[in-house]
Amino acid sequence: MAHKWGLVVDLDRCTGCEACVVACHAENNIPTAGEDQAARGRAKHWIRVERYWEGDFPNPKIRFQPVLCQQCDEAPCEPVCPTYASYHTPEGLNSQVYNRCIGTRFCANACPYNVRFFNYYNPQWDMPLHLQLNPDVSVRTVGIMEKCTFCVQRIKAAEIQAEAEKRDLKDGEFTTACAQSCASKALVFGDLNDPNSEVARLSDSNRGTKLLGELGTKPNVTYLERGTWEDAKHG
Amino acid sequence: MQSTAEQIEQDLLRPLFHSSWKYWVAVALAASLLLAGVAAFGYQLYQGIGVWGLNSPVFWAFDITNFVFWIGISHAGTLISAILRLTNATWRRPVTRCAEAITVFSVLIGAIIPLCHLGRPWLAFWMIPYPSERHIWPNFRSPLAWDFFAISTYLTGSTTFLFLPTIPDFAAVRDAATGFRKKVYRILALGWQGTPRQWMRLETAMHIMAVVIVPVAVSVHTIVSWDFAMTLVPMWHSSIFGPYFVAGAIFSGIAALILAMALLRKFLHLEEYLRPIHFENLGKLLLTMSLLWFYFTFAERLTAWYGNSPPEMAVFWESIRKQFAPLFWTMVVCNFIIPVPLLAIKRLRTITGTAIASATVVVGMWLERFLIVVPALEHKFLPYSWGTYRPTWVEDTLMASSFGMMALLYLLFSKFVPMISIWEMKVGLQTHRGVPVVAPADGHVALEGPQ
Amino acid sequence: MNALYGLYPDAEGAQRAVDALRAASSELKFNAQQIVIVSGEPHEGYDFTDSQATSAPYRWAVLGAAVGGTTGYLLTTISQKSYPIHTGGMSITPAWTNGIIIYEMIMLGAILTTLVVLLIGARLPNFKPVITDPEVGKGKILVGVVDPPESSQPELERRLRLAGASQVKQSAGTL
Repeated sequence: MAHKWGLVVDLDRCTGCEACVVACHAENNIPTAGEDQAARGRAKHWIRVERYWEGDFPNPKIRFQPVLCQQCDEAPCEPVCPTYASYHTPEGLNSQVYNRCIGTRFCANACPYNVRFFNYYNPQWDMPLHLQLNPDVSVRTVGIMEKCTFCVQRIKAAEIQAEAEKRDLKDGEFTTACAQSCASKALVFGDLNDPNSEVARLSDSNRGTKLLGELGTKPNVTYLERGTWEDAKHG
Repeated sequence: MQSTAEQIEQDLLRPLFHSSWKYWVAVALAASLLLAGVAAFGYQLYQGIGVWGLNSPVFWAFDITNFVFWIGISHAGTLISAILRLTNATWRRPVTRCAEAITVFSVLIGAIIPLCHLGRPWLAFWMIPYPSERHIWPNFRSPLAWDFFAISTYLTGSTTFLFLPTIPDFAAVRDAATGFRKKVYRILALGWQGTPRQWMRLETAMHIMAVVIVPVAVSVHTIVSWDFAMTLVPMWHSSIFGPYFVAGAIFSGIAALILAMALLRKFLHLEEYLRPIHFENLGKLLLTMSLLWFYFTFAERLTAWYGNSPPEMAVFWESIRKQFAPLFWTMVVCNFIIPVPLLAIKRLRTITGTAIASATVVVGMWLERFLIVVPALEHKFLPYSWGTYRPTWVEDTLMASSFGMMALLYLLFSKFVPMISIWEMKVGLQTHRGVPVVAPADGHVALEGPQ
Repeated sequence: MNALYGLYPDAEGAQRAVDALRAASSELKFNAQQIVIVSGEPHEGYDFTDSQATSAPYRWAVLGAAVGGTTGYLLTTISQKSYPIHTGGMSITPAWTNGIIIYEMIMLGAILTTLVVLLIGARLPNFKPVITDPEVGKGKILVGVVDPPESSQPELERRLRLAGASQVKQSAGTL
């Protein structure tokens, strides 16, 4: 059976440390925007930790919510791209094809999660950070849209390896950079079509919700949380 | 003054042969604005589109505002001239070509803007459906692909609609000109003679074009509105957008037409041809569109407010009360509060009155486009990623240069093509045994055309 | 080319002249096709203009629209089926979206066909010399005969004047 990649984010485990953000930057050759560009609203984080809070010390209600591309089954960003740069792969990923992108930015407007990012300038890395670039991932030039790919380079590498060894992929054999770096194991990645995988089990949990699920985008990222904010207040 | 065919030809050909120094100053100003825009675009290509004020999440702002604005202005010409032709409104005769010219040039500008707003403009040709070596065609499910087809069709149609009736006028210039000018117009006139067969074919073609261009114009702005309505963005995903935008386009188009006519009348000395009655009639149309605009805006805002859906209300309050409130209420003043009295009260519905109303409407409609695009993008579903937008000098320059380009094209057009259709004005003079052939617009039995 | 023509101040006069010429065509040895009529604007309601009415352009426009629509259908259906790329859970050839493209192609077909039919029907562009007169631009209607036989010319001139010509001239045609 074909793979269907999915992710589970356990909000009850997330500490908001943002190790996932840093790992994603390192793995996917995402440059830092710099102070000036960040002030202009152009910071790029394929995964970001959203913080919402109510109230003040000593009893604020806080929520950390890692948001990344939901790889929606019915992604609103896909039909609007005039050059098919955003399309749905047979393995359930929303793929951004860099060399097809002409930079209309329609997909970013259509995405309800604001997880698409545009290269307003050519990326720059201060030396010697340019030596740190991941050779498996393209560097995107100006005018191109980018977003989380579920570390598709790792997926592809594992699939190629498994095929060469004439075996199936095992659950947990590889994972995305964000899930790999999560200290509290809040992020779990895997094949939703594999009934024995941890991600399939967790996605079925009754703690599971979909972010903006009411929009009908059918995301492949499931958020687990024990209760509502009210419950969090009482511990 | 009793006008004759000869007088008409002389008056309407005069601007082609004589221009004052003021004309050349205007051309120089317009050309320099356009050049400034070209320079700004070159700078943008070199540095990257980051020189604009766009960011995350506001990925469209001035670029799409101006695109929709110019396509909106384009609805003046063809709709006015086509609908007035089809309903046999004879007062339209001096107005049609000015209107059609506005359409062609603003569609042209509106077609260029999306090319300039791309992240990689040199690949814009991928929008063209051709069998590519990359084994890929444009995505016909994308509203931008629909835009490409709609705007191309509209540009073809409106250019045809503009230039078909100029053929006999080019023949008139050919016959009146000498030397090099005569040679050029001989080519432009395509050898037109004026036999009954040619006239019949021309009028039939114009009739077909008038019938076809109306649904095309309606579809163009509907499709442009679907660039927004096809997304889930709060306050964009509204089924009213199609009709709303078409009504708004006709509204801004008529305003642009009135302004253009007022300027032409003054500077080309066309007082005998563009008379107060024309401004009055267009003013009444503008009034109707202002009321219609108000109805649509009210309906759209009321349904949002009454539904009270939090994502929509966030955008709603930004416009009505918060960050964009000054712009929003300026828009209401410009589109409704100023124009309606100026256009409804007969004493105020003069050439100056309609021109003032039109100027405020043009400003107001630009604001309306901006207020549709930016507040919604700034406030989508996840509050953490809400943002703000401010334009940079590059966007301001590009916007100004679009106006410069429009002015330049229009000025050059007025120099090379008679702004008022000579042969159509002559038709207005026709009588059959002393009785006017065409029923006068105001019901009085008098000679049609200039009096 | 050589033409003998009269200039008439209005369409009534022109109609009289055309009728006179048609009546005289066999007697003065020329064909009805040699009759030339030139005006600076269209005149409806007279036989010499209305006889040119035809519904052919309308039928051609409908045909052009049909061709355009078919092209749009084939373009969208074939290209999308050949390289099926999934987007947003939509089908590969959604009727709604293809319909928009087909609609625009219908209109484009009608527009282009009308333009071509006009050019062909009005015999444009024409780079051969044409019979015209500066008076036409001032509102007169030119009615005459192209290449009339030498012998018939005086009688022809008399008939033209009888029909009410303000002037009768000869012309070799202008470019």
